[in-house]
Amino acid sequence: MPKHYRPAGKKKEGNVAKYVTRSQAVKLLQVSLVTFRRLCILKGVFPREPKKKVKGNHHTYYHLKDILFVKHDPLLEKFREMRTYEKKLKKAQAKRNKDLYERLRTRKPTYTLDRLILERYPKFVDALRDLDDCLSMVHLFAALPALERENIEVKRIHNCRKLSHEWQAYIARTHKLRKVFISVKGIYYQAEVDGQKITWLTPHALQQVLPDDVDYSVMLTFLEFYETLLAFTNFKLYHSINVKYPPILDPQLEALAEELYALSRYLDANTRSSRASGSDQVEGQENEKQHDESDLRLAQLQHQLPHNEPGALMHLVEDAAGEDEDDEDTKDCKNLFKDMKFFLGREVPRESLLFVIPAFGGIVSWEGDGAPYREADQSITHQIVDRPTQGHIFLSREYVQPQWIYDCVNARVILPTEGYLVGRVPPPHLSPFVNNEAEGYVPEYAETIKRLQAAARNEVLPMPGTGKEDLEDPQRLLVEGIIDRAEAKEATEKKRKMETLKEQYHDELKMEIEGATYSSMINRNTESNAASGEAREESVPDLEQTAEDGANMAKIVMSRKKRRLLEAIEIGKKRKQANVDLLKERKKKNEADVLPPKNGLSGARRPRSQDEEARRRASLP
Amino acid sequence: MGAAGKKEKTTKKKEAKDARGLTHEEAEERVMEEAPRARSEPEAPDGGGGGGSPVDSGSDYEDYSEDGDSDFELSEEDVESGEEGAAGSGSDQDDSEDGNSEEFELSEESESGESDSQEHKGFVKTSNKGKSIINHAQDDSGSEISESDQRAEESDSSEDEVPSRNTIGDVPLEWYKDEEHIGYDVKGKKIKKKERQDKLDSFLASADDSKNWRKIHDEYNDEVVELTKDETRLIRRMLKGKAPHAGFDPYPDYVDFFKWDDAKHPLSNAPEPKRRFIPSKWEAKKVAKYVRAIREGLIKLDKPKEEPRFYNLWGDDLNSKDRAGHLAYIPAPKPKLPGHEESYNPSLEYIPTQEEINSYELMYEEDRPKFIPRRYTSFKSVPAYENAVNESFERCMDLYMSYRAWKKRLNIDPESLKPKLPNRKDLKPYPVTCYLEYRGHEGAVVSISTEASGQWIASGSADGTVRIWEVETGRCCGVWSIGESVQCVSWSPLSELPILAVAAGQDVLLLNTGLGNEEDQKKIKDLLQVEISGTAGDSDEQPLVSWLQDDRHKHEAIRLRHFKTVTSVEWHRKGDYLSTVTPADILVVWYFMTMHLFDG
Repeated sequence: MPKHYRPAGKKKEGNVAKYVTRSQAVKLLQVSLVTFRRLCILKGVFPREPKKKVKGNHHTYYHLKDILFVKHDPLLEKFREMRTYEKKLKKAQAKRNKDLYERLRTRKPTYTLDRLILERYPKFVDALRDLDDCLSMVHLFAALPALERENIEVKRIHNCRKLSHEWQAYIARTHKLRKVFISVKGIYYQAEVDGQKITWLTPHALQQVLPDDVDYSVMLTFLEFYETLLAFTNFKLYHSINVKYPPILDPQLEALAEELYALSRYLDANTRSSRASGSDQVEGQENEKQHDESDLRLAQLQHQLPHNEPGALMHLVEDAAGEDEDDEDTKDCKNLFKDMKFFLGREVPRESLLFVIPAFGGIVSWEGDGAPYREADQSITHQIVDRPTQGHIFLSREYVQPQWIYDCVNARVILPTEGYLVGRVPPPHLSPFVNNEAEGYVPEYAETIKRLQAAARNEVLPMPGTGKEDLEDPQRLLVEGIIDRAEAKEATEKKRKMETLKEQYHDELKMEIEGATYSSMINRNTESNAASGEAREESVPDLEQTAEDGANMAKIVMSRKKRRLLEAIEIGKKRKQANVDLLKERKKKNEADVLPPKNGLSGARRPRSQDEEARRRASLP
Repeated sequence: MGAAGKKEKTTKKKEAKDARGLTHEEAEERVMEEAPRARSEPEAPDGGGGGGSPVDSGSDYEDYSEDGDSDFELSEEDVESGEEGAAGSGSDQDDSEDGNSEEFELSEESESGESDSQEHKGFVKTSNKGKSIINHAQDDSGSEISESDQRAEESDSSEDEVPSRNTIGDVPLEWYKDEEHIGYDVKGKKIKKKERQDKLDSFLASADDSKNWRKIHDEYNDEVVELTKDETRLIRRMLKGKAPHAGFDPYPDYVDFFKWDDAKHPLSNAPEPKRRFIPSKWEAKKVAKYVRAIREGLIKLDKPKEEPRFYNLWGDDLNSKDRAGHLAYIPAPKPKLPGHEESYNPSLEYIPTQEEINSYELMYEEDRPKFIPRRYTSFKSVPAYENAVNESFERCMDLYMSYRAWKKRLNIDPESLKPKLPNRKDLKPYPVTCYLEYRGHEGAVVSISTEASGQWIASGSADGTVRIWEVETGRCCGVWSIGESVQCVSWSPLSELPILAVAAGQDVLLLNTGLGNEEDQKKIKDLLQVEISGTAGDSDEQPLVSWLQDDRHKHEAIRLRHFKTVTSVEWHRKGDYLSTVTPADILVVWYFMTMHLFDG
């Protein structure tokens, strides 16, 4: 009997029965490959790896259950219907049957994806968990040019823009943004919604080039799903803060391409009014009611009058009602830029800052129509400029580079502005997503920031070290622990040194009493030194030897599998260490370049030359 | 007839050119034909109801051209009638001109024949207008009727007021290309070519002149003609594909030539069919079908209401059910978060030097770092990332093309992999000092073996002796010198049979150590007897092992001689079997009790 003999009439079992290749799946579903791809993308079906690849290694395998899952979806039928519709339309056109053509055109079969979304993400949290790719994609398309050739329609680009702004407005309004990072690839944002950390990437707001070697139909299918998903998510989020969705925007601001600002105002106005009405029902007291009504009217007024000063109004009706539901982090974020007023220069990339500053509680305006206040406003505390020199300077405000905002946000403290003033090369911008300790290398500026953070915290807390914040922040505790240990080590080292010195002194004294001459003493000293050195040499390798022996012994006793694993781990560690070493070496080299050995430690010179170095580097291709 | 008439004519020519896209020659051809008729007109006698004198006809025309469209019909007739006469009288003059004159006469006759039904003629004429131009240009010998039509049509545009200056006739202008003159006037004098303005001047002049756009150069007569407003209007209409004159109605009401009023007899005497009186059955059926369809909701007349596309999809999340019946959904791993090196302004140590970047080129493609950190001095100077779309696409491909599976993340502390070895200190107490020494061997001890009871130790040495020691006292109980260096010693595991197997050289000795009580000794002695004749075998072939009685020692012993050196000897735990190993990878197992070879 051959090994894999299956008697006739007996069902297939195992991997053969469970998994099908892609071409088998396509055949089973009776669709074209393109439709199959769309179905897979929309349904979220992905290949699964069988334990044994029955048909060979070069096939893609899908689980049969997945395929049947697709097969039973009404979407498949809908796609077939659309295909026949296309055929009918084409035929009518070819036969010049204008009546039929027009009639058909009004009856295009459509489909919706809401059911699919609910199927894929049965709970809202699931959707939030998977939102990263969705947001990145929508933000990317919001920055892409429409291209007729690739079927990228203007309508969709606009929709993407709209959705992304809605999302940003929600995040800014509820102060849920946590981290921002400007990278070469774009700007990374991280928000925390319902306990889910959502990270997305927005491209720099510049003309993107569409490469040719990309299959846009795949991307557009993904985008189709993502657009729907994000719209429903936005709906739910807006619903949660009692705001109507889709928002109705001030057309004037919209025309000025300030959708984000228009949205945030819409949100402000709406949440306030709804909140007011909510408290109405609860309290029911007369004067309270009056007050709320006035709030409501104010909010409405503000919504109606685009050129009024919304900032001032916002402060007027600042409500403490919903604050208690915010967690500690959100409060932190809300109050970071609390009493600051920003103004953006013309050259500053505006979109990002208009999003970030309000998200952390600041008020912001810009140069252009529709801005809430003008540059000449005396209450502005910071003006963001991104040019080498600033002509006219108001003394009442500080002129900083945009990076200051981002660094403040990531550090959660207001950093000193000295390093970020106009015309200076700003300190390095560090990624907030890296765990420096785990990475093994802490950049210099990270340490500076940590010190500043600690200082800020001490200011806030009257009793340093006993505050509950320390207990809450385990990472900080750990860091402090490390510092403590290092200090302790240093202390013991010192102590030992002192002791040896003391011993030596006692010896000398003893010898003096014995009446030995100085020269003989020196001799003895050297001898004893040599002896002790020898002793140490003997003892140290012995210890090392034993340690090594132990390690080797352990390795020998290990099973082969575990030994291999250990070796792999060690290789990984070595690689990591090599990277860290490279960084350290480069740093040493840079410092050597910057500080010529002759006038070694002239601290005043150092930052400038570092700047020069930075410029030099920047000018490299 | 003055300048206006002439202009009219040139306009006409231009029109023709424009409309048909003809070449020069063709256009000129036309002009050539028009010319004689124009000339003949002044002498025309009064043919129809038109003006009696040439002046009259001229004034008629003027009228027409002045008030343009209002009395189009009338003036046309007038002009035509004038021309009829003109053509008739002018024929004798034009004899010399070309062969067309005869045709003219013919056409005249036909026209005069039709003159009684004015309206009808007018209709035909005008409708043929556009076509006739083409006809004329293409072949001069067209049908008589079309010829006449054409002439009539041309007459209405009244280009004939001023005779053309040039009389060269229907010849290509190329012929005069190299000459100083362009042709001859009526009196036969040469018409000189005008000085050509150079292009720049003409351009400047044209730029200055606001009316320039309506000036046209007439090559045939070598002069510049300015179009009037009416003419431009005409041209525009023609360009639009309409009739040149605004008053012309291309679709007049049909006037039946047959008068029904006076008819005594009907054309057809058939009775009116019934179907003209009853409602159509098929129509009713169709209507009924539509009505039914509307009732059933198959046809929807009003547009469906726009439902809000987005709603609270998840509700309040309470009644949501998990994906039952499906395979577990494996969420895609999130993209890697960026490190310090991806910053637009990283620390200097993250930026590789130029040499390092160059060295990347030498690496294998897959080892090469995909991202090279760069530093920009300001936020605004960061350019668009060129791989943004590609990377997004790659992510998409990963999402739908790659296998997904739960993999256990190996987050293992490497120390936990190592087995916990006991510390040496924890193993105490263990012997640290030498307690007993068994002295007596002169060579290195190669092998020792403990007796089953644990009272004795046998040791084999390289000096060729085997000794037995009492364990507790270190006393040597017996010495056997084997002669060869001993490889291995091994006690029989049975305590009642204290037999020692010694491997030395090619031999294995089974020694009676002489220990044990008398019964045991007797048993041993019985066992260690070899029937020399029986076991050695009488076969010719060399036996693997020969069993021999050994007499050299004071105790009884059996010598098993192998054909090669024996390295090791081992007992079975029951003491019945015994195995020896020779370096030829042969394991020999003996059944000791009956001294049989079991396996090779």
